[in-house]
Amino acid sequence: MVFVIRRLLQSALVVLVMSLVVFVGVHLVGDPVHILISDEMTQAEIDAFIHRLGLDLPVHQQYLHFLGNALRGDLGNSFVFGEPALKLILQRMPATLELAFAAFILAIVFGIPLGMYAGLKPESPASRAIMAGSILGFSLPTFWVGLMLIMVFAVMLGWLPSTGRGDFGTWDGIRHLILPAFNLALFKMALVTRLARAGTREAALQDYVKFARAKGLSPSRVVLVHILKNILVPVVTVLGLELGGLIAFSVVTETVFAWPGMGKLLIDSIQRLDRPVIVAYLVITVVMFVVINLVVDLLYSALDPRVRLKEAKA
Amino acid sequence: MSAVVDALPLAKPESPLRRLGREFFSSPVATGAFGLLLLIVFLALLAPLLSPQNPYDLAKVTVMDARLEPGETSSAGFMMWLGADGAGRDMWSAMLYGLRISLGVGVASGVVALAIGTAVGLLAAYRGGWIDALIMRVVDLQLSFPAILVALILVAILGRGADKVMIALILVQWAYYARTVRGSALVERRKEYIEAAQCLDLPPRRIVFRHLLPNVIAPMIVVGTLQTAHAISLEATLSFLGVGLPLTEPSLGLLIANGFEYMLSGKYWISFYPGLALLATIMSINLVGDRLRDVLNPRLDR
Repeated sequence: MVFVIRRLLQSALVVLVMSLVVFVGVHLVGDPVHILISDEMTQAEIDAFIHRLGLDLPVHQQYLHFLGNALRGDLGNSFVFGEPALKLILQRMPATLELAFAAFILAIVFGIPLGMYAGLKPESPASRAIMAGSILGFSLPTFWVGLMLIMVFAVMLGWLPSTGRGDFGTWDGIRHLILPAFNLALFKMALVTRLARAGTREAALQDYVKFARAKGLSPSRVVLVHILKNILVPVVTVLGLELGGLIAFSVVTETVFAWPGMGKLLIDSIQRLDRPVIVAYLVITVVMFVVINLVVDLLYSALDPRVRLKEAKA
Repeated sequence: MSAVVDALPLAKPESPLRRLGREFFSSPVATGAFGLLLLIVFLALLAPLLSPQNPYDLAKVTVMDARLEPGETSSAGFMMWLGADGAGRDMWSAMLYGLRISLGVGVASGVVALAIGTAVGLLAAYRGGWIDALIMRVVDLQLSFPAILVALILVAILGRGADKVMIALILVQWAYYARTVRGSALVERRKEYIEAAQCLDLPPRRIVFRHLLPNVIAPMIVVGTLQTAHAISLEATLSFLGVGLPLTEPSLGLLIANGFEYMLSGKYWISFYPGLALLATIMSINLVGDRLRDVLNPRLDR
């Protein structure tokens, strides 16, 4: 329980620090009047706006003002759409989450079998090819892979649509999802492959695996039940931590595939200097990150009590 | 002078640099990657001499050449063997100049980040206490967010422009260097030669720079190499997204972005060749860095 409270307090602290960073960045580094006010306002409107945002107050009060507004969910209106920035971000969120979860599942479905194969037969040519592929997956820039996927599967072969999003749950929606999800999954797939390979190599030498073999269990049962079960926990934990990374990287994939999610909105907003939307994106993403890290930490400590004990000792 | 050299004993112990070279080049893959990297640096440095056209000189670029296919002859009479982009720029020339910018931005930001990260990491390791705790909290906080997200936040706050992108890349990278340097400096600090230097009452500055720093250089080189590839990839990504370098200085990422719209109509070469150049750069640096890690740190089991 102490552990849970400590983690909660730490998370709250991170959110507070990040809010300070965003505040300093947007309100102090740049001229907030320039940043937050569109060109078409009259002087009277600007004065009223400055007063409403509390920009005539001393700095520490300005920060509290910003914090108070943010807590009430008021992060300003988008210059471009004239709607609350937070609402715009939340509207785009399902598309991003759909993409991120599809990539998450792809990474597991492909990464674990490939990694387990490479771990069971480390010397075979196929395993070497898998490991070489995982190095490529780590180092190729995501946007370039996306372009190549479009070039091959959409332009040359014409199998799949190149850009956009179909209706959720329909065949068309799935067809639109395949390329972007694969693109986003590639990096994590490489990671899962490596983790699963390392885990399999370690598990294959353990006594319980030897015992299961000695008992006369079929090789497929040993691999699919005894080994798989034991590598699943670390792999899923690491991948859970990487879920935030998927959401961050979806900015790139969404732009390449014109996928109408939060990331594409962020890039469009940076280009249009639509600052309230940028701030709203940052706030949402930071909170999302902190929550994901917290949940994974708590789950991990529940699964592996050593983490808690180490923390208590330190 | 030569008499002195001749007088030296012949069976000299192998110098560390020579040993490093011998072990490095014993891997054919690493040797190939090193050769490729040399070629890329050479192409980037000599871009003005090797390109038939200055892609920034608008007087030399004509729309008449727009989207010429690879191998066609330009209106100025030279062969565009990688084709031309939407504005009629020779892709080979644009690619060489883009390579120059991508490499320059990546290496320059890497060097500055290395300097900052090393200074901060050494400070944290040598001083310890609350300074160390504070620095490492900041590093941990930053590293808990993916680099691309931190870079986007910074670009969103700072705005566009080459200098802003450089600042963003430096701020993204310093934490990696600080963590690495602190880690190895902490190990070295506990060794006897540091204790001896402290007993001699040498000033801390001398201990840190003359004794500690030379012994943490190996991991710095490894992280520096891999991090440079990362910085180049990150800059290309930002430029591709349209929030990186300005249009007047097209890096590889921007060239790829410019060709993107043509790719859908089958004109692949505008994006494809700069992409290939980017890929060759990143892969060769990564392979060299991986090999350096194996050679410089034999204890590391992979």
